[in-house]
Amino acid sequence: MNAMLATHLDPLAASLFSLLTIASLLLAFVMLGSRWLKDYMLAFAAQSWLIGMLSALVGYYGGYRELYWVALLTVLFRGIVLPWLILRILRRLNTARELHEILSTSTSLVIGAAAVIFALVVAMRLTADLHIVSNVVVLALTVMFSMKLIGFLMLALRHEAISQILGILVLENGIFLGAQILVPGMPLMIELVLLFDLLVAVACFGVLVRYLLTHIGSTSSRDLRRLTG
Amino acid sequence: MLRDVLAQIAQVLTVLLLSPLLQGFILRYEERAQRSRGPSLLQPYRDLRKLFRKQLVVPDTASWIFWTAPIVAFTAMLTVPILIPVLTNYPLPLSDMGDILGGGLVLTVGTFFVNLAALDSGSAYGGIGASRTVMITILAEPTLILVFVGITLMAHAMLPFVVNHLLVANPAIYWGSTHLFLVAAFFVLLLAETDRLPIHSSTHIEVYMIEEARVLEYSGPLLALLKWSGMMKQFILYTIFCHVLLLPWGLSKLGTVLGVAGAVLAILIKFGIVACAVIAVETTQARLRFYRYQEPLAVAFLLAVLAIVANQIR
Repeated sequence: MNAMLATHLDPLAASLFSLLTIASLLLAFVMLGSRWLKDYMLAFAAQSWLIGMLSALVGYYGGYRELYWVALLTVLFRGIVLPWLILRILRRLNTARELHEILSTSTSLVIGAAAVIFALVVAMRLTADLHIVSNVVVLALTVMFSMKLIGFLMLALRHEAISQILGILVLENGIFLGAQILVPGMPLMIELVLLFDLLVAVACFGVLVRYLLTHIGSTSSRDLRRLTG
Repeated sequence: MLRDVLAQIAQVLTVLLLSPLLQGFILRYEERAQRSRGPSLLQPYRDLRKLFRKQLVVPDTASWIFWTAPIVAFTAMLTVPILIPVLTNYPLPLSDMGDILGGGLVLTVGTFFVNLAALDSGSAYGGIGASRTVMITILAEPTLILVFVGITLMAHAMLPFVVNHLLVANPAIYWGSTHLFLVAAFFVLLLAETDRLPIHSSTHIEVYMIEEARVLEYSGPLLALLKWSGMMKQFILYTIFCHVLLLPWGLSKLGTVLGVAGAVLAILIKFGIVACAVIAVETTQARLRFYRYQEPLAVAFLLAVLAIVANQIR
């Protein structure tokens, strides 16, 4: 029942969906491969615009009226407001890029590629167990899992606090993207709750960064090793 | 049948005779893009003529490898055009001697012998050049294999002609994500394999040299052969990129004289377009640090993996 829309798509819709999901996966890799904090933010904004377009398309092809609102809210909050808030935090920071990397760019890209293959295998097993014969479903599951894994990678491999919040946002974008295709009839209320959740997270984060900057002078987790009362 | 044999000879001659023109085009318009005058389009031909007339100087330490390497490299580059679609989009009599992997193997044999020759005379720069080339090859080869695997999975065949036909016949596959990712991955490989930035240096200072350092000991006709085979390698890689992946149109379907002439004209246009893209990269990119060479190649690897994943879900 859940994947009803995704299993009965006309070819044009299917190819549009695949294009948008793959493009957002590529943007997640841009974030994983770059060292500049501003690039993360721009890639995240572009990814949110793509996901907004995707939910509008799902709404159009599936006949869900409320998804247009979701698309509008996604573009507005994830595509404009969150990047703007992050940009304000970035202007206050004195670091423009990750200075110390745990793994080099190329290694993390190759690990990301391995994560995509793992996600593909999991998605194929899942759809085979559920007897769903649809490439769009497999693709959506793959991209969702791999974006979550990439988000985890970013959380684990980066020191700067900004890249960590962007890792969480990528993770969340992945779940949202998968949900849009797999379970398109989610109530509008849940979407609103999710969006405000993110908004609150980023706003809290802005306060935290300001606190860290005044008291410690850095937002890198390398410098936060000692517990103080 | 005779027509096919003649077409096959024409393929080899096209690669042999037009490859210096491609090099000249890139060198000239790269300079033009950077607001300087640039050499003439025919300068590589003049260089080759000059080198063929010069005296041959052989180091005392050189063995037979020094003599054979340029000949092996040149012969390898003359062999590959028999296997790939240069002018015609159907297999010619000897085309089924090898598939894509076979062509890649023959290309690599040339590189391998030049590496041996660079080490042979025992000069320091030759050793540096050979070791750097091998390092880049080690980084680039997995991606190349993955691109071939991706092509094979996409077309269910390893013959370049089949891939060409498939892409011409199916716009859906041509614009599909698998094919576009493969094109992007192969473009990075093309830059790395034809001595272009961001990996290779555009200035000829010994410290930065990679390909040039390997042939530093050569002079006269042998150097001319090596340079010519380098240009032919570039032309062959452009041919594979254009005719198997990016621009599969504009090939002769029957092998008539008019069709072959048209295919040559189309090659000039298509390679011109790809060369312009290469010039744009060369003009905008700076040379990467030695320890960052793997980054563009890791991106190419990632794109090839994504192509294969996208192909599984097509």
